[in-house]
Amino acid sequence: MLDGIMTGLTTAVMPFNLLMVVVGCFAGTFIGMLPGLGPISAVALMIPITYGLDPSSGIILMAGVYYGAVFGGSTSSILINAPGCASTVVTSFDGYPLAQQKQAGKALALAAYSSFTGGTIGAIVLLFAAPALASVSLSFQSSDYFALMILGLTAVAAFSGKGQVIKALIMTVFGLMIATVGTDVTSGTTRFTFGSVDLIDGISFLLLAMATFALTEVVMTILKGQHKEEEEQIDMSQLGSMKLSKEEIKQVAPTIGRSSVFGFLVGILPGAGATIASFLAYGLERNLASAKEKLKFGKGSLRGLAAPESANNAASTGSFVPLLTLGIPGSGTTAIMLGALIAYGIQPGPRLFLDNPDVFWSVIISMYFGNLVLLILNLPLIPYISRLLVIPRPILIPLILFFSITGVYLVSFNTFDIHMMALITVIAIFLKLLEFPMAPMLLGFILGGLMENNLSRALTISDGSFAFLWERPLTLSIVVVAVVVLLLPPLIDLYRSKKKPSTEVRGPETAITEGEG
Amino acid sequence: MTITKDHIGGLVFLGLSVAYGYYAGQIPLLPGDEFEPFHAQTVPNALALLGSLLSVALLLSATRSPGNKLSLRGYDFPLVSKLLLLVVLFALALEWVGFLLATIFFLIGGYWLLGERRIKTLLVASVPFAVGIWFVLTQLLDIYLAPGQLFSQITGG
Repeated sequence: MLDGIMTGLTTAVMPFNLLMVVVGCFAGTFIGMLPGLGPISAVALMIPITYGLDPSSGIILMAGVYYGAVFGGSTSSILINAPGCASTVVTSFDGYPLAQQKQAGKALALAAYSSFTGGTIGAIVLLFAAPALASVSLSFQSSDYFALMILGLTAVAAFSGKGQVIKALIMTVFGLMIATVGTDVTSGTTRFTFGSVDLIDGISFLLLAMATFALTEVVMTILKGQHKEEEEQIDMSQLGSMKLSKEEIKQVAPTIGRSSVFGFLVGILPGAGATIASFLAYGLERNLASAKEKLKFGKGSLRGLAAPESANNAASTGSFVPLLTLGIPGSGTTAIMLGALIAYGIQPGPRLFLDNPDVFWSVIISMYFGNLVLLILNLPLIPYISRLLVIPRPILIPLILFFSITGVYLVSFNTFDIHMMALITVIAIFLKLLEFPMAPMLLGFILGGLMENNLSRALTISDGSFAFLWERPLTLSIVVVAVVVLLLPPLIDLYRSKKKPSTEVRGPETAITEGEG
Repeated sequence: MTITKDHIGGLVFLGLSVAYGYYAGQIPLLPGDEFEPFHAQTVPNALALLGSLLSVALLLSATRSPGNKLSLRGYDFPLVSKLLLLVVLFALALEWVGFLLATIFFLIGGYWLLGERRIKTLLVASVPFAVGIWFVLTQLLDIYLAPGQLFSQITGG
C-alpha cells in the first residue's frame, strides 16, 4: 500500500497534474456557481478536454471540477439563495439567512472549512477503505458483477425520492435500451441501427451525457425564462469578516466531525450521493441539537450550515469508493467519470489498483490537494470569482451551448452527432417536463454494455440456467440486498401512510428527484 | 378523468417498449444462435418485457391529483425551438462554411435570440472568441479542421 501511495504521490505532484487540480477547482467553482448547472454538468463539460490528456491527469481534472462545483454551489446558495445544484439546497437553509444578517463572509468561510474537513476526512477513510474493498472484490466472478450492477441500478432508483421509484426504474431500462443500439460485441450483428452508418458504433457516451446534462440543463433555464432574471449584485463590502471566533469553532467542530463520517458512509452507498447525505446530516444535526439551538435552525444556525457542507463533500469523496473498487458509480457524476475511464480503455473495478495503480492512487492523493486548493486559493478569491456571475446571461448561455456542442463535435468530427444532440435534448426536455429523472438513464446506459457481457458469460458458464444468481453465496447476498433496496421504499411509504403523516421538516424528497450528487 | 404526467409518461414508454420489442425480434441472428443460452436478442427481449411491465405499473400507480397534470403554460417554447434550430444550422454551417465562420454565426445568432441587440457587443463577444478558439485548436493543439465544402468547391480543391 505504501508503494501505491508513493506512486500516487509522484503522479499527483507532477507540475502538470497540480495545475489540473487548480484549474479543475476553479472551473468547477465557477460552473457550480451558475444556478442550474451542477457537478454533473460541470464534469460533463470537462470530458472533451480530458480526452487529450493522459488518464491520471484527466481524472484528476474531473475530480477537481467535481469538488469545485460542489463548493461553487454552496457559494451561490449562501450569497444569492440560488443553489447551483441539488446537493447544496440545504446549505441555503441556514447560509442565506446568515448572509442576510451581513455575515456572508463568516458563512462562506465556515462552508469552506466544513467542506475542507469533510473532504479530507473522506479522503483519509477512502485511503484505507478502497484498497481493502478492492482486494476483496478481486475474487468476484461474472455472476457477482452482474448482481452488483443490478444492485447499482436498483439503488439509484430506490434513492430517487418518493413516488419516483418506478419512473427512475423506467429511465434505467431506457438507458439500457439506448446502450443496445449499435454493434453487438458478442455476435457482431448490428442492432437498432435502422440502416444508418452513423449508428453502427452506437450512441457515444459523451454525446448522451452532454446532451442530457449540459445542453438540457441550459435549455431548461431558457424554457423557464430564468435567463431573464438578473443576478442580485453581490456587494463585496457587505461580506463581513471571514473570521470565526474560538467559541464558534468549538460549537461546530463536533458537528463537522460527525457529519463528515456520516456523509462518507452515505456516499459509499450506490446511488445515494451528496444530496441525500446533506439532507440526512442536516436532519441528524437538528435532532441532536438542544431545544434552544433547534429554534435557530433555518434562521442562520452555524451548526445547520456546517452539517450539510461537511456531509456533502465527504459524500462526494465516498462515492469514489464503489467507482474505484467495483467499477460501479455511486452517483450521476461518478457515472460520467466511469464513462470517461472506459473511454480511456481503463476498466474501473477491482483490477484498477493492480493494473493502473497510478490512476487509482493519484486520484486519492489529488483529493487532498483539491481540498487544500479550495481552502487556500478559492476562499480568498471568492469575491472575484463571483464577479464572473455578472457576465450577462444572453452572452453566457450561447457560450455554454457552444462548448457543449463543439466538445462532442471535436471528438468525432461528425456533424451527425450535433443533430443527434439536438434530438436527444428535445426528448430530454419532454421527459423532464414529465418529471422523469435523468441520472438513472445515464447510469443504465453506461452499465448496459458491461452488464450484457457479464450476463452473457454467466449464462454461458451455467449453460443457460439462471441458477448462477443463487448458487454462490456472494452472488446470492448481493441479489438479496438489491431486492431489499428495491422493496424498502414502497414498504416504508406504505407503513408511513398507515401511521399518519408525520410533521417532518422539508425532507430530501423535495430536491433529489434529479439524483444529482 | 384527469390525465396526469404519470399517465402520459407511462403510455409513451409502453409504446416505446412495444416498438423496441418488435424491432428486437428483427435483429438478425447467426445460424444456430437460437439454440444458444445467450444471443443478440436476449437482452433486448428482456428489456422490452421489463419496460412494458414498468410502464403498466406506472400507469396503474399514477396518482390522479390535479397538481400532477402536465401544464405547458409559462414555458418559452418558441425561444427554445429557435435555439435548437440554431444548433442544427450550426451543424450544417460547419459542413459548408467551416469552423470559424460557423462559430461566429452561431454565437451572434445565440446572443441575438437571447435579446442582445447592440451590434458592437454582438461582434466583440463572438469574433475574437471564435478566432481565439480556432487559433488554439489549429495552431496550438494541431487539430485539423476541415474547411467548408463551399470553399473547397469554389477553389476546386
